[in-house]
Amino acid sequence: MKVTIKSWTGVATWRWVANDDNCGICRMAFDGCCPDCKLPGDDCPLVWGQCSHCFHIHCIMKWLNSQQVNHQCPMCRQDWKFKE
Amino acid sequence: MSLKPKRVNFNETWKELQETVKCVITLSNVPRSTWNDRFSDVYSLCVAYPEPLADRLYLETKQFLDNHVKNLLEKVRSNGKANLLKSYYQAWSEYSLGINYLHRLYLYLNQQHIKKQKLSEAEIVYGNLTPDTQEQMEIGELGFEIWKKNMIEPLKENLVNFLLEGIHEDRLGEGNPNTAEIIKGVIQSFVTVEEYKKKENLLLYQKIFETPFLQASGEYYKQEASRLLQVCDVSMYMERVTQRLKEETLRSQKFLHCSSFDKVKEKCEQHMIADHLQFLHGECKPMVQQERKGDLTYMYSLLRSVPQGIPLLINEMLEHIKQQGLQCVTSLKGENIYCQFVESMLTLHKKYKDMINDVFSGDQSFIGALDRACSSVINYRINPKVSSRSPEMLAKYCDFLLKKSAKGMSEAEIDDRLAQSITVFKYIDDKDVFQKFYSRMLAKRLIHQQSQSMDAEEAMINRLKEACGYEFTNKFQRMFNDITVSTDLNNKFSAYLKSETVDLGISFTIYVLQAGAWPLGQTSITPFAVPQELEKSVQMFEKFYHSHFNGRRLTWLHHLCQGELKLGYLKKPYQVTMQTFQMAILLLFEKTDSLNCKEIQDTLQLNTEQFNKHVTSLLESKLLHSSTQDVTPETILKLNLEYSNKRTKFRITAALQRETPQEVEQTLSAVDEDRKLYLQAAIVRIMKSRKMLKHNCLIQEVLSQSKGTFSPSISMIKKCIEALIDKQYIERTPNSADEYSYVA
Ligand SMILES: [Zn+2]
Ligand SMILES: [Zn+2]
Ligand SMILES: [Zn+2]
Repeated sequence: MKVTIKSWTGVATWRWVANDDNCGICRMAFDGCCPDCKLPGDDCPLVWGQCSHCFHIHCIMKWLNSQQVNHQCPMCRQDWKFKE
Repeated sequence: MSLKPKRVNFNETWKELQETVKCVITLSNVPRSTWNDRFSDVYSLCVAYPEPLADRLYLETKQFLDNHVKNLLEKVRSNGKANLLKSYYQAWSEYSLGINYLHRLYLYLNQQHIKKQKLSEAEIVYGNLTPDTQEQMEIGELGFEIWKKNMIEPLKENLVNFLLEGIHEDRLGEGNPNTAEIIKGVIQSFVTVEEYKKKENLLLYQKIFETPFLQASGEYYKQEASRLLQVCDVSMYMERVTQRLKEETLRSQKFLHCSSFDKVKEKCEQHMIADHLQFLHGECKPMVQQERKGDLTYMYSLLRSVPQGIPLLINEMLEHIKQQGLQCVTSLKGENIYCQFVESMLTLHKKYKDMINDVFSGDQSFIGALDRACSSVINYRINPKVSSRSPEMLAKYCDFLLKKSAKGMSEAEIDDRLAQSITVFKYIDDKDVFQKFYSRMLAKRLIHQQSQSMDAEEAMINRLKEACGYEFTNKFQRMFNDITVSTDLNNKFSAYLKSETVDLGISFTIYVLQAGAWPLGQTSITPFAVPQELEKSVQMFEKFYHSHFNGRRLTWLHHLCQGELKLGYLKKPYQVTMQTFQMAILLLFEKTDSLNCKEIQDTLQLNTEQFNKHVTSLLESKLLHSSTQDVTPETILKLNLEYSNKRTKFRITAALQRETPQEVEQTLSAVDEDRKLYLQAAIVRIMKSRKMLKHNCLIQEVLSQSKGTFSPSISMIKKCIEALIDKQYIERTPNSADEYSYVA
């Protein structure tokens, strides 16, 4: 072998794969975080419903907590189920 | 002694009492028993039956004192004019003490008979009533009143002349130490005789002594100032004046009532400083320019004491610091211009801060001038149309210190310099420009592992946060976090590989960054056929990442990746750190020693810009040779089989990571874009809350909102307003051309 790779340091970026740019609950960009958090990213992740709507986890949890009986998606009013 | 009222023979009783009064007032010996008897006589007279004799007692006593003081006046006069002060003082010393004793002897009269008639204190102070002159006074007061009328009145002119003369001699240094006490005592007598009054009790002192004294003092210092000006230069003049002021303060304490101290000081200052302000002001400029600290210390303390004295000196300092600073920043040249810039600004700042502390007692107005001067130097535009390069230079300075390149400096020294650099940072107007440059340099340091220490990086981010707020450093913090959590991510990936029993064949690490936080422009992104040797790593990592993090899309930034390559085809084995594209090019030479550029580019699918950049860098490193001067598709590249290097481990990435002029250009235009967005957002926010606004008000509001981060030009704000009108966020109101309203 003339040349061999000893080590390699990769660099990559990540962004959310969401249908929208903004969270439908708090209206903040998914690039940023929910109003209760300071740093976006791992500390303020997104979650998807089976209806395929997507929110900050903190936003949807707050929303679900505030609903007395039915747990519905705030965007499409279908029953809210977390996508596995 | 019986307290019962009884008949009293006034004449007999008074005759006896008068003898004692005479002794008391002349401080002759009065036996205790006699004192006690006379004390009760006063009582008996006051309560005498069938009618009290208090009024008669009062009249007789008054008459007695009147005669006594008249006699004293004669005695004082008979001692000759030359001895006037001394004999007055002697008579006064005896009389004032005597009258105090007498006052006590007449205790009953004072307390029971006279106090009852007196107006209450409140009535005198707050009412417009003046005490009736016919009204009876307590004996002590009566004694002083009589002294004033019978002694001070007839002698006052002579007395005051002698007092003024005595003080004048003291000023000339010819005063007799023995007369000091006399002068003070005589002056004090003018105060004492009216001290009992509830209101305006310094009037006599002021009228007969203070006014002529201040007049004379003014004259004296007027002449003294002109005399000094004839024989002194400014340094000596200030020194003498300071000396005179100090002496006069001591003199005031020696002779005068404390209410006069400030008035005398003001007189001196008026005639020796304020009257010659033009002269003193004229000397300020050369004094400041030559930084004559001794002179400036005097100048400061003199000018500070008169109105309108100090502003000119503050301004001269401001101009001087500014000139020194500008001279400095306009003459910077050479390689490390950014180090020179920051360090010379810090030196300038420290020098004048120290000077202000030493010379101007740390006066806040001077600190303010220093701030204004530093700010105009640091934000100075050599060409008014081009913004200052200071934000960029400061960012570079920080970069230099935080990089591994800052060799030869101890950690503490680096830390200290970074802390100091905040001083310069605070003066920078275009903080957003600094932010952009800092962010790009931080990104490079972190991705290319060039940071000297992560602790130092974090400490610097915290300093900037403290100086400029959380928002300002938010992205820095996120970048920093991405790098620190990557260790954990890589450990998880290793564990995953183990559990899957996969061997990548190379040592692999990765940084996964949040796209929004990093200033990684899209411009460098190019298609790239990942070499087979790396493919497995890429695939395995993607598989791992997607199984761990839901809903995230990963984008590889190959132009930022780097690796270590072992070269086995040369006389010695070498380990070379290089970028992924360079690695990919070299890997293609496995089965041949020469390839043409077109073949390589087609295989790797790189765009021409990136391809040329990396080939050029390999040629410059001498690992490859080329058949032509310029890189064209036909150019043949050959492995340099004769390559040798003293070091067996080295990197050829440095040149590629250096900042290019295009990047600086890009950074600046990115700032411009951000500013436009910021201003448009600010305008919309303001208009949304105010609904309708005049053009000038809107401009003012926008300026005040953006103050902390940058100072936008009016024309830029106007352009943003126009853009928002085009986008129909706001519109001109129909009734006025310079008024806007918000479009809901
Ligand atoms: Zn949200
Ligand atoms: Zn959150
Ligand atoms: Zn939904």
